[in-house]
Amino acid sequence: MARVRLRYFATLREQLGEGDERTVRAGTTVGAVWERVLSDRPALRRLRVRFAVNETYVDCDRVLQDGDELAVFPPVSGGC
Amino acid sequence: MLGLLAGNPMYEITERPIDLGRVVAAVGDPEAGAVATFLGTTRRSNAGRSVTKLEYEAHVSMARREMRRLASRARRRWPIRKVAMVHRVGVVPLGEVSVAIAVSAPHRAEAFEACHWLIDRLKEVVPIWKKEHYRGGTVWIGAQSGGPPGARQDA
Repeated sequence: MARVRLRYFATLREQLGEGDERTVRAGTTVGAVWERVLSDRPALRRLRVRFAVNETYVDCDRVLQDGDELAVFPPVSGGC
Repeated sequence: MLGLLAGNPMYEITERPIDLGRVVAAVGDPEAGAVATFLGTTRRSNAGRSVTKLEYEAHVSMARREMRRLASRARRRWPIRKVAMVHRVGVVPLGEVSVAIAVSAPHRAEAFEACHWLIDRLKEVVPIWKKEHYRGGTVWIGAQSGGPPGARQDA
């Protein structure tokens, strides 16, 4: 089992809250965790999202480890 | 006068107005013969919408880390000396500076090129999001499927 901290940003934060902690089975991928979130909130499926684990961009097949922070956010739009 | 001899690289997210003097001083270096700067300011209209205010949100620690990574990549690409990148978050009134970048280098060509490259990459990878408030609503830029121009996803 792995304890993972989820964090949401921008429009996802407004719709899902700041995030939460959850326990996942060993071997669970980023994509699987996000699918679980989407199963409760299918309207979010139309959004493009990116994932970062421990402040580094990852693909959805990245396997989560105990203590990981998983950040989910829309494509970035900083600047001017 | 700005002291331009002993700066320390700066990668910051701030809720306060950006102090341009500090940004420029941060890239001070005795080997530099040029400092290029870029300022992004908040614009009154976007995609035909009349914007009333802009709001930015960041994953602060990751944003600072991505800025540091970009600066390292820039230093590998050009013979530059120091980089400073600062982005403001929270509500930024129209016409104010939302992002500032400074690059020092021995000569101006690499300072300009690296500065241009850094703002382009910042807009692609640094986790900061812009929310536009306009008459009649709000919109998070970059979140729409397909995405508007300027909110590219390629990194």
